[in-house]
Amino acid sequence: MSTQAGQDAKFFQRGKIQEFRAELQAAEVKDKKFVKRRTVLKKIVANITMGNDMSPLFPDVVQCLGTPLLEIKKMVYLFLVSYGKSKPDQIHMVIPRFLEDCNDRNPLIRALAIRTMSYIPIPVVTEALTEQLRHCLKDRDPYVRKTAAICVAKVYTADPRKAEKAGFVEMLRDLLLDPNATVVSNAVAALTEIGDRPDGVFFKLNLSIANKLLAAIGESSEWGQIYILDSLLRFVPERHADAELLAERVLIQLSHANSAVVLTAIKILLYLMNYMENRKLIDHICKKMGPPLVTLLSSGPEVQYVALRNILLIIQRRPAVLRNDVKVFFCKYNDPIYVKLAKLEIMYRLAREENAKEVLAELQEYASEVDVDFVRKAVRSIGRLAIKVDPAADLCIKALLDLIETNVTYVVQEAVIVIKDIFRRYPGRYEGIIPTLCEHLDALDEPEAKAAMIWIVGQYADRMDNADELMDDLVYTFLEEPVEVQLALLTASVKLFIYRSKSEKAKELVHRVLKWATEEVDNPDLRDRGFMYWRLLAINPTVAGEIVLAEKPAITTDSDRMDRGALDQLLLHTGTLGSIYHKNPETFIRNAAGRALTDTPALNANSRAVLVPLTRNQLPPTVSIPGPGPNEPRARKAEPPLPAKPAPPLPTNGADDADAGGEDGENDEEGILSPPVAAQGDSAADPYAGLDQLGGLGGSGYSADNPRPKGEEEDLLF
Amino acid sequence: MAIDGLIILDNVGRPIVQTSFHSTSPAYPLIHIDTYNNALAKVSRPDDVDPVLYVSGINDDKPSACCHVGCGGLRILAPISGDVDPLFAFAYLRTFIDILREYLGHVSASTLRDNFDVVYQLLEETLDSGGHPLTTSPNALREIVIPPSLLNKLLSVAGANISSLSAASSNPFASPIPWRKANVRHNNNEIYFDVVEELRAVVNRSGVSLSNEVLGKIDTNSRLSGTPDLLLTFSNPKVLTDCSFHPCVRLPRWSRDKALSFVPPDGPFILMEYRFSPSSSNSSSLGVNQVPVPVMLKPSVVINENGGTIDLTAISRLSTRAIEDFTVELYLGQGAGAPNFMVSGGGSWAFDPRTLVLRWEMANLPPSSSHSLRGSWTSSIPNPRAARAFRVRFAIQQHTFSALKIDQLRLTGEAYKPYKGVRGRSLVDLEWRW
Repeated sequence: MSTQAGQDAKFFQRGKIQEFRAELQAAEVKDKKFVKRRTVLKKIVANITMGNDMSPLFPDVVQCLGTPLLEIKKMVYLFLVSYGKSKPDQIHMVIPRFLEDCNDRNPLIRALAIRTMSYIPIPVVTEALTEQLRHCLKDRDPYVRKTAAICVAKVYTADPRKAEKAGFVEMLRDLLLDPNATVVSNAVAALTEIGDRPDGVFFKLNLSIANKLLAAIGESSEWGQIYILDSLLRFVPERHADAELLAERVLIQLSHANSAVVLTAIKILLYLMNYMENRKLIDHICKKMGPPLVTLLSSGPEVQYVALRNILLIIQRRPAVLRNDVKVFFCKYNDPIYVKLAKLEIMYRLAREENAKEVLAELQEYASEVDVDFVRKAVRSIGRLAIKVDPAADLCIKALLDLIETNVTYVVQEAVIVIKDIFRRYPGRYEGIIPTLCEHLDALDEPEAKAAMIWIVGQYADRMDNADELMDDLVYTFLEEPVEVQLALLTASVKLFIYRSKSEKAKELVHRVLKWATEEVDNPDLRDRGFMYWRLLAINPTVAGEIVLAEKPAITTDSDRMDRGALDQLLLHTGTLGSIYHKNPETFIRNAAGRALTDTPALNANSRAVLVPLTRNQLPPTVSIPGPGPNEPRARKAEPPLPAKPAPPLPTNGADDADAGGEDGENDEEGILSPPVAAQGDSAADPYAGLDQLGGLGGSGYSADNPRPKGEEEDLLF
Repeated sequence: MAIDGLIILDNVGRPIVQTSFHSTSPAYPLIHIDTYNNALAKVSRPDDVDPVLYVSGINDDKPSACCHVGCGGLRILAPISGDVDPLFAFAYLRTFIDILREYLGHVSASTLRDNFDVVYQLLEETLDSGGHPLTTSPNALREIVIPPSLLNKLLSVAGANISSLSAASSNPFASPIPWRKANVRHNNNEIYFDVVEELRAVVNRSGVSLSNEVLGKIDTNSRLSGTPDLLLTFSNPKVLTDCSFHPCVRLPRWSRDKALSFVPPDGPFILMEYRFSPSSSNSSSLGVNQVPVPVMLKPSVVINENGGTIDLTAISRLSTRAIEDFTVELYLGQGAGAPNFMVSGGGSWAFDPRTLVLRWEMANLPPSSSHSLRGSWTSSIPNPRAARAFRVRFAIQQHTFSALKIDQLRLTGEAYKPYKGVRGRSLVDLEWRW
């Protein structure tokens, strides 16, 4: 194959329109076996690919369509696909040729003709296509039928009302029962495309069709399987038994080689589980889902990344999945950074008392790696592990102290940041290490780390003899510091003063800082806080003490889990962009249809309790088709009426409904009752967000959900 | 659920081939190319670019995402908009690359340019403008897009009747089985199974495997006439866990009695992939039962102010078989240079100044033999941060970790008796921490 290298490359030379035209005309005579024509067309196509405008050749190229040679036809069609749309005044010349080809003996040419026509959304073409499509949807050749099915979606895009009038939707529905599996899956794909349009007809499956589709799955191509599986989301189980039966049939698809098939099957299973009651079966399915997910991790890094982001969601909803497989997520040295970071997050989620030691040993290993970003996350994860798993806290603190000893500045800074949180989580347990931290005070040059250290000094000023000296040093650069650090300094000096109200030094210090904050600084937050402290201290220092040193709510890790209702919704998007970015797609993709579980008698009580209805009514209205044919295109005889969408209540975030008992205990790992937190609002999900008000702490960038460098919101990207 | 199109970039990020993107604005593919190139400029290793890039729309355009994979110096982008499954895009890209390989042999910027018409036809046939993958099974594709070599052959035959070209595809998709073409004829009916297993493990400095898994696959090459219906049984199917299969395998039959019943595609394909866990009873907790790592490494690495020293011994733990293509790699950290190493027991070492990776290679490690690498390097940066683990890779012929044994292959539906061949091979990919 390599022998012909360079052979075709010459076609890429820039050619002149005139030249080509002349050549084409010359080719009309004495062109034995159409060799000349083919050569010119090849040159033209090459020029199209280089971005040179070949559209002036339209009339000349179209002439070649009569050539009875597939290869030439293909190239002309390629030309038409590129320029047909921009030539509404000349397209009529081609239509007779199109019609001819639509009735060609060769099914390949018939399919090619309708496919090309569907790419040219000009009314005359659509008109002609509508006529032809009716026959092609019933063509005896499956290749033509499957192509025609997809063309319907295109016609629908060009002119929805006309497509409905022509009865194409009904014809597509009939194709769902076609003997050829590829035709079935393409019909499903077309119906899905139509159903996803904001103005499209409602595409919904009933049990018997769902079962028929599943029967076709065995003979479909992998893409067809994906379409069919995905369409099962449009089936709403009315009885537990229906969901269970369907799930058992989907289960078998988990052993498909195509990763997208596997993940789509998992999405359907997660969906169906909401409609099941049989705990044993649910456990069985959860157990079956683990291994295929692990298998995805042996694929290329891209697939791993998508899989990992999804696993992160799945294990929050169904912790039984992969419960014992934390080792699978250990990072390899050669993993790309995005895979490592995603694995790190999952390792943290799966960490429990039983495996904390192993996980910690891994994290320590990562903390000495080369990549700075990754090292930081690893250090942070050690701190989060300490906060999450009480019995491992001692070991984690020891690990952090070892890391501080390395004197690598960014490691030290990360360690200080997490130690601050550990202090809050376990008051009175680790304050003994404060002197060690103070030794590294000079190494801190990042605002977050500095603010954390200042918080520690202020909070524990009563146990540090030299706290006033330290503070004196620290405030020296007050005016040059970023706001984050200034806020921390302000609060810390107030605390110091409250602890040592007798000390002249402390008094002088707080006075100096308050004066700076209120007179020299432009930042309104800082100024306001300065005034507030000042008045507080002036009016009643005792009360001020009670307020400033009030007991802080203990830090827990419960709140970095997502709200269950929101999770249920996100899981309906398993494998899609929404699950990568952990956001509901309608919030970042215009016209994206939101998905919500539909309430039916079969919906299990736990899922219903946290049900979050769509916040906006985005479901396409059911279109009634005028003219012949049944009114409700998807209504089959046995079908229950379309479930009335719960009237979209005022936009509410999950927090309102979640208090109905977000925990069902069935799978939740720790069984702690977590305060319901709305997952949609990033700030609300940030367990440390409240710290600003409470402790006067600068660092709010510590979002527990995203173990990334401070301040970066790119986890959600939008 | 659709892919907006496909763009193939050369090694400097310029587009070579792209689909026509009719349903989007002309700027759409351009923003995606830009987004990828910008992201690439930001990372130190090209592999570190996020595989799903967010692309904000221009003006009022809706945002989209760019999925991309690399392939032989090229980068293939698949823009997706709407809530599409990125895995769908990746699965399609993977398939398309496989198809290109099959058609062009070697995929590179120059082979693409040389065969652009074939590449275009392939794009047209595998992905419609609405982003639905169409025909991707190699067997069916060959009937509608003629591979370049065959096309040339046909043309070179003097006086060849051109109509035979179109005849080559006069009756496409006649086959009732989507993955197998109809009327296959071979003079010799033969089928070969290659069982390839790969051990992937992370080993800590005391030689204990932290994670350890064996992934296997059965590479099959079928050259059987007609419509053969095969039944493949194993004498020890218990060793196979977490299996995934080629679409031709009848899944219900497998779940019933662990036998593979299938009508194979013609030519090479992967029949199944699996994971081997030594004790299938306890498959959920990995690591309880581990596959022993067939080599022993004794690393001693010291990093100091101006470089480091390595003393590494590798001992084969196999008593009968040889280890082949043994390589060890270690990234020496920024500023590494002046490597000075010695090997004993055969083999050679090399240092790549561009990637800063030290590489030790041996073609053959006889059973139970011991080899070593000793030496030092210097670094322009004090206390260089070298990789924390050696990457060790090698192969073992005629050996599988699972000892999977094919019991028999029965053929029904055809009268001939096929020739059958089975081979085993193992690959090992270790990360050995020091």
